[in-house]
Amino acid sequence: MERSEIYEKLNEIFCDVLDLDEVHLTDASVADDIEEWDSLSHIQLIVAIEKAFGIKFTSLEIMKWNNVGEMVNSIIAKKQ
Amino acid sequence: MVINSFSFLAFFAVVFLVYFLPWMRQCHTRQNLWLLLASYFFYGFVDWKMLPVLLAITMAFWFLGGFIRKSIDRGNAKAASRSTTLGVLLGIGLLFYFKYLNFFAGSFAKLLNAIGLHVSWSTLNIVLPVGVSFFTFKLISYVIEIHREKIQPSENFLEFATYIAFFPTIMAGPIDRPGKFLPQLRQAHQFNYNLAMDGCQQILWGIFTKMVIADSIAAITHDAWSIYTEKSSWYLIYAILLSPIQVYADFDGYSNMAIGVGKILGFNITKNFDHPLLARNVSEYWRRWHLSLTGWITDYVFMPLNVRFRNWGNLGIFLAISINLLVIGMWHGANWTYVLFGVYHSLLFLPLILTGKFGKNKKLKPGRWGCVQFKDLLGMIGTHLLMALGHIIIFSAGVPSIIRLFKCMINGDWSFVNPLSLLSWYSILSIVVLLVLEWFTRNKEFAIQRVSKDYTSKTFRIVFLDMLLALAIVIFSASANAEFVYFQF
Repeated sequence: MERSEIYEKLNEIFCDVLDLDEVHLTDASVADDIEEWDSLSHIQLIVAIEKAFGIKFTSLEIMKWNNVGEMVNSIIAKKQ
Repeated sequence: MVINSFSFLAFFAVVFLVYFLPWMRQCHTRQNLWLLLASYFFYGFVDWKMLPVLLAITMAFWFLGGFIRKSIDRGNAKAASRSTTLGVLLGIGLLFYFKYLNFFAGSFAKLLNAIGLHVSWSTLNIVLPVGVSFFTFKLISYVIEIHREKIQPSENFLEFATYIAFFPTIMAGPIDRPGKFLPQLRQAHQFNYNLAMDGCQQILWGIFTKMVIADSIAAITHDAWSIYTEKSSWYLIYAILLSPIQVYADFDGYSNMAIGVGKILGFNITKNFDHPLLARNVSEYWRRWHLSLTGWITDYVFMPLNVRFRNWGNLGIFLAISINLLVIGMWHGANWTYVLFGVYHSLLFLPLILTGKFGKNKKLKPGRWGCVQFKDLLGMIGTHLLMALGHIIIFSAGVPSIIRLFKCMINGDWSFVNPLSLLSWYSILSIVVLLVLEWFTRNKEFAIQRVSKDYTSKTFRIVFLDMLLALAIVIFSASANAEFVYFQF
């Protein structure tokens, strides 16, 4: 799966879960960039991402992410 | 030695002068060593018996942090996880020993007696050392952050020990995270005029809310929690309603003073409050209250639980929030009232979870003439009432006292008491000023902060006058050495 395809899908999931009209995620995106993205919606996002990509993250993996780029790396690693 | 006392002023004057000597400013190691000595002196002044424990536990965590990183580098994930768990258990063990052993031993003995096994368990009489709840959380945070690969372990013990014992925050926080604080110890600090002036302003605001507002309300609430049988119903109602303002003015006052002292030395300390009186519901209240603690618990307790329960829907969220609030309740100390406090707050979350309103609130928008909107105001008043009820739980001596206090209030003397007769006119005026500024300065770090943070020579005179005013408050306040509410936790 191409990185750009993952981002396309992620943008959709973020809009859906956070109730946003539009979002443009990049490798450097963090929770502070989006007002609606907090510790609670973060979990809803993870559940939606796991469902959409058919994968399962470990707790430590989730805790280690510093930005969206690192999360995308995890998705790519799982999809291979 | 509290921050708003003359002994602290004398101590700080010496620390400040030596810290910024030209010879000291050349080298951060010299400055750190001086800060560490000052911090150990400060802590030892309050509780010298705890100094060896503080030093030993600091060393243990420093070695552990290095070992976790080495295990990660060697690809030994298991050893890294195990050592992190060991660190967390060590921290919790320390807290358990000092804060909870008396309580659990007593409760266990009562339980055995209740089922017919008569044991006599002499009270252990372990005295709670000051600040243990705060520096232990810093230590635990250090090992978890290394395990999550958010920070590198500190290579310098002196730097690490200074972070743990940093005197402005060792007594009652704010609980600084290693990722933000340790880098500040890796450079020599030059005197930063603007930051120091900003710190002075912040100390003044802290002294004002603590000594003029909190201490005057404390006289009323103290009687309400202790000699409620002698008080009328109206008196108790006023005390309960004023209690959230007292605790906020007290703890925010302390935090502002601690942050301000840090700023004079050139440090940025994490903020502790974000205008909690403006919270429109309980969820928002917890996002504005004691941020350094709630942030800590969110990252290390709530998030791991929430991740684990993530496929359980609302039940998972409720469970994670409830455990979270129980931990916050129990963090305050060992008493069933604190457990009840956690249960009470988690129940307040239930309607929010069921209606999907527990998430981040929309930013406050002003209504006409820049004032608070009516709907928001109703939410704030409602939240205040719920918090006030929670205060009865947390400040009562025990569960029976809570019931007795309610009975006294309902069955007591209902003859009207003029609320204005309970406080001096300047205390009432100060409370009104606090409430008004809470709204109008909601985007500032503290109410009287200069917007530009640029203190020219002209503003120096203003700051000088501010400090004279602070001195006047300290001298003329009857309760110059009144304890801070959070020193007991």
